[in-house]
Amino acid sequence: MTVDLPAPRVGPLAEHAPEPIKVVLNWGRRYSLWVFNFGLACCAIEFIAASMARHDFIRLGVIPFAPGPRQADLMVVSGTVTDKMAPAVRRLYDQMPEPKYVISFGACSNSGGPYWDSYCVTKGVDTIIPVDVYVPGCPPRPEALLQGIVRLQEKIAGESLSGREIQRRYAGGRVASAGEVQRALVTAGSIPGRGDALVPRPGQPVPEPVPQPLPEAVAQPLPESRGPDTVAIPMTAAPVGSFDPETAFFPPVADHPEAPAEHTSSAPPSGPETTVIPAVVPPPPPVGDPTTPPSPPAAAPNPRRGNGAPDAGRGRRGAGRHRPEHTLADDIFELGDDDE
Amino acid sequence: MTEPASVSPAGLDQPAGDEPCLDVSASEWRGAARELVSQGFTFFDWLTAVDQTDDESDPPGTPGFDVVLHVLDISTPGALRGHLLRTRIPDGAALPSLTGLFAGAAWHERETHEMFGIDVEGFDDGTGLGLRPLLLPEGFEGTPLRKSFMLAARASKPWPGAKEPGEGHDAPKSPGRRRVQAPGVPPPEWGPR
Repeated sequence: MTVDLPAPRVGPLAEHAPEPIKVVLNWGRRYSLWVFNFGLACCAIEFIAASMARHDFIRLGVIPFAPGPRQADLMVVSGTVTDKMAPAVRRLYDQMPEPKYVISFGACSNSGGPYWDSYCVTKGVDTIIPVDVYVPGCPPRPEALLQGIVRLQEKIAGESLSGREIQRRYAGGRVASAGEVQRALVTAGSIPGRGDALVPRPGQPVPEPVPQPLPEAVAQPLPESRGPDTVAIPMTAAPVGSFDPETAFFPPVADHPEAPAEHTSSAPPSGPETTVIPAVVPPPPPVGDPTTPPSPPAAAPNPRRGNGAPDAGRGRRGAGRHRPEHTLADDIFELGDDDE
Repeated sequence: MTEPASVSPAGLDQPAGDEPCLDVSASEWRGAARELVSQGFTFFDWLTAVDQTDDESDPPGTPGFDVVLHVLDISTPGALRGHLLRTRIPDGAALPSLTGLFAGAAWHERETHEMFGIDVEGFDDGTGLGLRPLLLPEGFEGTPLRKSFMLAARASKPWPGAKEPGEGHDAPKSPGRRRVQAPGVPPPEWGPR
């Protein structure tokens, strides 16, 4: 049975409410994120640890008891997404009600991680669903997930959710009818970027892995507007005393004109959306156990490429720290570029 | 225990470990498994294959796939005994199915079939559907556990880290080391990486 669902919208009161009321509504949404854990591998254990008493993300308003995707606001993809599981990830994302958010937790769901060259591992969950926040690490510590949640909450606080806005953002990636959400799983061949089996033929040119077009049911492109909004969390925990979210996550990229748009450097279509309201947006608490030594610098993203990768240590560049040429975060954004 | 005398070793090297391994020809595969069952190894543990198509070192063995069966004797509590059975199947030849002996071998033979491309003769898991993909996603082409299977991601998607010893961001400064050419790594003619 196919039932046409109405286009996603917010209520008329929320639509025409004055700005202070919208602040309050956003405040309510950001602190009641019912989370749906798509636990696929060991990162799910870290997610569970983050939900337990020691780290306790319920204090941030993230409620891990959503009965299913249809009751969830936030999906945390934690673990290795395989090509066989990818259709299910997409399907459950489609079943979530708007507005919905995705945190990609861990190296595997960010980019494929150590299994990047496997024949069966999806090269990042962002090849199938739009991702709001990437949390690097293998696996990330629970504090990193808390940091990612805080980043997502900042993003939610800064957005202005009208009916038109929610349709602009989600209708592209949304299936429009209940029948389509109940459809059979999409086939693996419809997933762009999957690890295709290519058997070499001597003397013949290497076939390029061509992303096959999605079937009609899911042929809508991923929402364009969500790409630039994605942020990544540096694996290196910022020192407690020197935490500054602006410099920590959004280094200026004026000297890299080829850099993709960034959250702060590119004005979104609706300007007031990113307005930070100081009254209700406290600075994010520094995450990371002060007693824990920071991760090795090999995990720090590289600012040289200027592709929007976060860099907690940008201000200390001249200090002779060892810096890698490429990082996981670079690859994350390369993956994102491929999809455009 | 006593080795089954009805089968002759093929002269292959014995695998490490304290479990006996019996090498048989493909035609003796079913008979040897049945013989092991009659000796008490009634528990089917696993069945898989090893790609030895590049095996040049062993004159008695022809290049092909080593199909290995592991069975257990669970009759005596606290004294679990295992036994390996191994045969070599040339590329393109069919493996006699053990589903008539162990019903649980059906999944393993399906997996071996889809991962290595080894045909299984006489396969019957009661459904009549034959050898169909078990683990690979729908539409997957190729046999990914063969050494000839190329990991196309290495050619199509650059990885920013070090894939092999001697690579990585500090590779120009590190002393030269012979590049490891593992099976599945695309050769240079696949393009620059």
